[in-house]
Amino acid sequence: MFVAKVTGVVVATQKVASMTGRKLLAVEPYRVDEKTRDRLSPTGRTFIVVDALGAGLGDYVLICQGSSARLTPETEKLPVDAVIIGLVDTVDIEGRTIYSKQTNH
Amino acid sequence: MQLGVVIGTATSTVKHKTFQGERLLVVQLLTSEGGDDGEPVLAFDRLGAGRGETVMLTNDGKILQEMIGRDTPGRWSVLGLPNI
Amino acid sequence: MRIAEVIGKVVLSRAHPSLKGARFVIAAPMPKEALVAGSRLRGEEVIAYDDLGASPGDRIGLSEGGEAANPFGKDVKPVDAYCACLIDQIHCS
Repeated sequence: MFVAKVTGVVVATQKVASMTGRKLLAVEPYRVDEKTRDRLSPTGRTFIVVDALGAGLGDYVLICQGSSARLTPETEKLPVDAVIIGLVDTVDIEGRTIYSKQTNH
Repeated sequence: MQLGVVIGTATSTVKHKTFQGERLLVVQLLTSEGGDDGEPVLAFDRLGAGRGETVMLTNDGKILQEMIGRDTPGRWSVLGLPNI
Repeated sequence: MRIAEVIGKVVLSRAHPSLKGARFVIAAPMPKEALVAGSRLRGEEVIAYDDLGASPGDRIGLSEGGEAANPFGKDVKPVDAYCACLIDQIHCS
């Protein structure tokens, strides 16, 4: 899994039938800053993910990708490869909190 | 299948139940030119490969599942010791 | 399965119902230089499901991809990385 920030909402009028009614979000993966390890840094990559947890713009979320993304009742029959499995509250590195939802909102 | 070089062994007490009694090798996978291919992997071995030996590995989880259990989170296992 | 060092954890404020109460650790994969020569170099970290109680500094067997969800059997969970073992010792040349 990886942590990502919700950057946008994806709306597609034309889509395969099974995707009707699914909420899709654009997210940017974040990683622990390689040098300082004291904050999350953007990676510049982007993914489109299915959301069944009610994530909003700016939220940090936990993403499951690959075939495992279909291991939920909501996604088992969908042609998807990435799903939001949680909203991030805190990220700790070696006992120190480097991200907290409360102080970032 | 891929070739790799055994660079070490690993021991573990707290582990998934399917790992019980199995030997774990630390293997560096090789590219076609013989260079390092990614980070070393943990591979299950019942053939007794030793450090420095070249081994043939498979990442077919099904073979490992037949060997140690369907619910195993493992993937790599030693298939053979090529006569190189 | 790669070998990774646990460097931290992620706590969720809301989780998929199948993951209620689950623990997630941040695992940094170890390259050969780190295993053989003690280099501090690490690969890009992965967030892994952990039910073995891994804590920062521990070295683990990091299962990734479809087989990371094998341990859950019919009780399926959306998990693509799983802490499969806590490593006591690595003997590398």
